[in-house]
Amino acid sequence: MSAEALLYPFLFLAIFFESFLLVTFLSKPARAYRNRAIVPSFPKVAIIVPCWNEESTVAGTVDSLLALEYPQEKLRIVLVNDGSTDGTAKAIEKFATHPQITTLHKENGGKFTAMNLALSKVPDAELVGFLDADSFAAPDSLREMVATFDSPEILAVTASMSIDKPSTLFQRMQFAEYSFAIILRHIFASINGLYVTPGPFSFYRQEVFTKLGFFKHAYLAEDMEMAMRIQRAGGRIGNAVRARVYTKGPPTYRTLIKQRTRWTTGFLRNMLFDYRDLIWSKRNTVLGMFVIPLGFLAIGGGIIVFALNIVELVRRGYHAVSLIQTVPVSYTFALHPFSWFYLPITALVVMGILVLASTVTWMVVGKKLSGSPGSLALNAVIYIVLYGVTAPIWLIRSVSDVARGVATTWR
Amino acid sequence: MSLFIRNILISLGITVLLIGTVTYAISYLNRARITELTAIEDQLSIETLSLETQFSLLETAPCETSASSTALSSELTNLDNRLSYTENQLGSDNPQVLQLKKQYSLLEIRDYLITKKLAAACKTKPVTVLYFYSNAGDCSECDKAGYALSYLRDTYPSLRVYSFDYNLDLGALKTFIAVTKVKDKLPAFVISDQHYYGFTTLEELEKQFPKGALATSTATTTVRQ
Repeated sequence: MSAEALLYPFLFLAIFFESFLLVTFLSKPARAYRNRAIVPSFPKVAIIVPCWNEESTVAGTVDSLLALEYPQEKLRIVLVNDGSTDGTAKAIEKFATHPQITTLHKENGGKFTAMNLALSKVPDAELVGFLDADSFAAPDSLREMVATFDSPEILAVTASMSIDKPSTLFQRMQFAEYSFAIILRHIFASINGLYVTPGPFSFYRQEVFTKLGFFKHAYLAEDMEMAMRIQRAGGRIGNAVRARVYTKGPPTYRTLIKQRTRWTTGFLRNMLFDYRDLIWSKRNTVLGMFVIPLGFLAIGGGIIVFALNIVELVRRGYHAVSLIQTVPVSYTFALHPFSWFYLPITALVVMGILVLASTVTWMVVGKKLSGSPGSLALNAVIYIVLYGVTAPIWLIRSVSDVARGVATTWR
Repeated sequence: MSLFIRNILISLGITVLLIGTVTYAISYLNRARITELTAIEDQLSIETLSLETQFSLLETAPCETSASSTALSSELTNLDNRLSYTENQLGSDNPQVLQLKKQYSLLEIRDYLITKKLAAACKTKPVTVLYFYSNAGDCSECDKAGYALSYLRDTYPSLRVYSFDYNLDLGALKTFIAVTKVKDKLPAFVISDQHYYGFTTLEELEKQFPKGALATSTATTTVRQ
């Protein structure tokens, strides 16, 4: 069997996945979710900003929180310096006198320890949110988040994340990727299929921490672990699609691989070691029978498809080069008259284009639905070119790290 | 039935529908290719027969034959390129491709024979190349040899190149191979009745041609692989 033939099952799955997105997006729960009106409600909210060496961005983060359209007396902001070695302590102390803000300093112990310290200081808050110190919330985002807690079973709510001012190639690629993730989160929230409440602007009911406990190290994926804990406890995780939050994406190849390896190993380790019971769980069918298996399939499939493409590329490349070397180069690159007969259209090509076109369409829908600013066109092109050769690298590294028991580090 | 299960089933239906549509569309395209190839072969068959008939009618003065086998060769080249592409798309074991290849090989043999007859009658010396290849995976140099011959054919249109799949199960071709005494050592060339086996470089192949043969050019040829 040729490498090309082996790609068909993966294309089938990809088309099935895209179809599922469409069907679920058009289903009643998702429609109701995105058409939900904001009911004015102002419970007491605390927003925690854990900081570690974020001197250049934390002021912007705090400014965005102070600009939130929410009654001041109902909003408390807690800044935690987790033993930063740069000027973060000084940067957050500038806000120490602000009536809404509490600043805390502690020895470095990891993000989850900073979050837990702050949590212990806000026992009276009904909702507790977190915002990474390199992220910025839109002024109306908190109202959207609060409104999404519209039923007691919703224990956590996620926002729509975008990359803030993408400038490097990798940030531009992430901009498109995040636009796609916006719609994924919206769709899967409508069927309670989320297994991560990301650091940038996820909110929890206080009872999550009183009943289920505080954050854990969780292989440096504390946000993923908390979401899994909520799912295991039978809670729902919602999504406020119009709540925009902007985050600084890793600017370089190295930092991006590092971040994604942390995320992927966090998923694998949490799932395989601590939350294995969620896999094939009948209690939460969407998560157990669909989302989690798909997550594993995406990791394995990503690596296999990449390997198959490399094999095919090398084979064809070698063949093409050996042919080109046979005759003068000018002959190979001479223009030939166009004929429909020679159009390189195969089922593989058409199915690939179908998946790609569908993904780009979802990016457009995600961006439009969330109202995120920025231009998508160029970034989507960069995504198409770059993602397929970048993502497999962190997938391979993650699987290798988990298999060899290599500990993941934050930076 | 839960919403989730319903969505899964609808999505599966959409997926099957989409893939079915793609498969049908590609199959339609390939059928159109086969139809075009068949049409070209039918036309060539008529033209070959016409040429042979003219040759028989004008046995005493065959050089006055109005039609030229040169035009046929040009059409054969076109057919060869398309057949080769279709073979790549559908696979060399596709029954329709095999059938078309057999018809194509017969046309080539007939064109070769009539070219020889005309050359003998008209006392001309066309430079002909019989090229034998295999795509059964046992001829690592065949792709390069075929590409080099395509280059020579386009660069020196007077060359008349006839390419044959050595392993094609066709009685006439087996007889042709026996008559021309070509060994199972591929790629194999018969250049102006001289045998040459293997392929290293274009320059080496060019050396096998009679002196001056690649300088004069007026006709066209056919190359496979």
